[in-house]
Amino acid sequence: MSCSNLTMWASPRPSLRPDFDSLCSRSLIAPSRLFSASPSPSSHRVPSTAVHCGLRELRGRIDSVKNTQKITEAMKLVAAAKVRRAQEAVVSGRPFSETLVEVLYNINEQLQTEDVDIPLTKVRPVKKIALVVVTGDRGLCGGFNNYIIKKAESRIADIKKLGLDYTVISVGKKGNTYFQRRPYIPVDRFLVGGSLPTSKEAQAIADDVFSLFVSEEVDKVELLYTKFVSLVKSDPVIHTLLPLSPRGEICDINGVCVDAADDELFRLTTKEGKLTVERETVRTPTPAFSPILQFEQDPVQILDALLPLYLNSQILRALQESLASELAARMSAMSNATDNAIELKRSLSIAYNRQRQAKITGELLEIVAGADALT
Amino acid sequence: MTLNLCVLTPNRIIWDSEVKEIILSTNSGQIGVLPNHAPIATAVDIGLLRIRLNDQWLTVALMGGFARIGNNDITILGNDAEMSTDIDPQEAQQALEIAEANLSRAEGKRQAIEANLALRRARTRVEAVNAISS
Repeated sequence: MSCSNLTMWASPRPSLRPDFDSLCSRSLIAPSRLFSASPSPSSHRVPSTAVHCGLRELRGRIDSVKNTQKITEAMKLVAAAKVRRAQEAVVSGRPFSETLVEVLYNINEQLQTEDVDIPLTKVRPVKKIALVVVTGDRGLCGGFNNYIIKKAESRIADIKKLGLDYTVISVGKKGNTYFQRRPYIPVDRFLVGGSLPTSKEAQAIADDVFSLFVSEEVDKVELLYTKFVSLVKSDPVIHTLLPLSPRGEICDINGVCVDAADDELFRLTTKEGKLTVERETVRTPTPAFSPILQFEQDPVQILDALLPLYLNSQILRALQESLASELAARMSAMSNATDNAIELKRSLSIAYNRQRQAKITGELLEIVAGADALT
Repeated sequence: MTLNLCVLTPNRIIWDSEVKEIILSTNSGQIGVLPNHAPIATAVDIGLLRIRLNDQWLTVALMGGFARIGNNDITILGNDAEMSTDIDPQEAQQALEIAEANLSRAEGKRQAIEANLALRRARTRVEAVNAISS
């Protein structure tokens, strides 16, 4: 008899019951606990399907959600701090690229009329393409690694349709594991990126690419990385790395060429209290060399020494941008996770409190009924 | 009279201050640069860059690049550069041995190119470390 009374008291607001059901039945954290038999004797038998969670289990779930929230929040802050460092790395690479561009322009002026024959600029009929795929090292960054890998797969499909051969150079642990599990894709080398890309890592990739191209094993090298557009948006792009044009233009897969003097910088700033990223395109001024400047070797040899520098800086730039996009993706993924955790904790707490109150009410009723029976 | 030296690599600035004299390894031999040198532009080979400040010589292992010598203003763009004080002698020696082993094992034109480059770089680093003691 008390049971039926309990049932009436336990469900005062039928409209809210579906929420409660859905909470318990859709537990993502501990599904096993959800479906275990509830030990509490005052079972609130809700007429519809769902299993209900005991008080203790709910408390356990709330605790675990709270811990998860702390972790995701910390990861978001760490990623934000690292974006700042990545941005500083880009800024400290600017003096190099500015000077390089200046020199490149001036040498090209001198070489206008001559025919330039440098191994790195040789345009051959394309039979084999090398794809350098830049992925991240760790997960928990939303769709970042997936986007780039999907783009790589679609590019590989395109290349196969054109009937050309290809090989892949994979940079980053996520890409490495992906390609390792697919032995039907020929991979030339697996390289691991560090936490902050330095010229050593760029050099390792450049060496590989350089030797592949110069020994005529491949006729074209394309670089696949994620361009950092904004904190919530990043774009996987494909750039043709080799053959270089002597002017130092970097061309996109669709033939859109970016001049070497146009430099794009991204800056992490705050706008209206929120973190945003601003990109600015800066055109480097290219003053003419002093007219009495003598070349110690002939200009072709000098260009031969300059182009590997340019190659290195392009690869390093791609690695830095990729890292920045990965950090931004992680920031937004962790921020979403934190928001979800807060909301989940709130609904769990409401359910917990309601159950707790219902239990107390039930006990009160029992006492009252018992006291009633005695008198 | 001093020279303003700037050594740049793609990810950082290695050196940016005044020096008295430098010795640079280029493709066509070593050149010494004193103040009021004629303006020249030259390609730099994988080798040592020696810097003199007030009778004290510093060594930098430079992995190739380009140098522009202007009006007492020297700009060196390098693929990579390491101050000899930053190089660990043991590690450099090991890297050299690994590079030599790789070269003897190299098959085909492409591996030979790579192995040669790696060997030259490792050798430069070892020389840089040994140079400070001499």
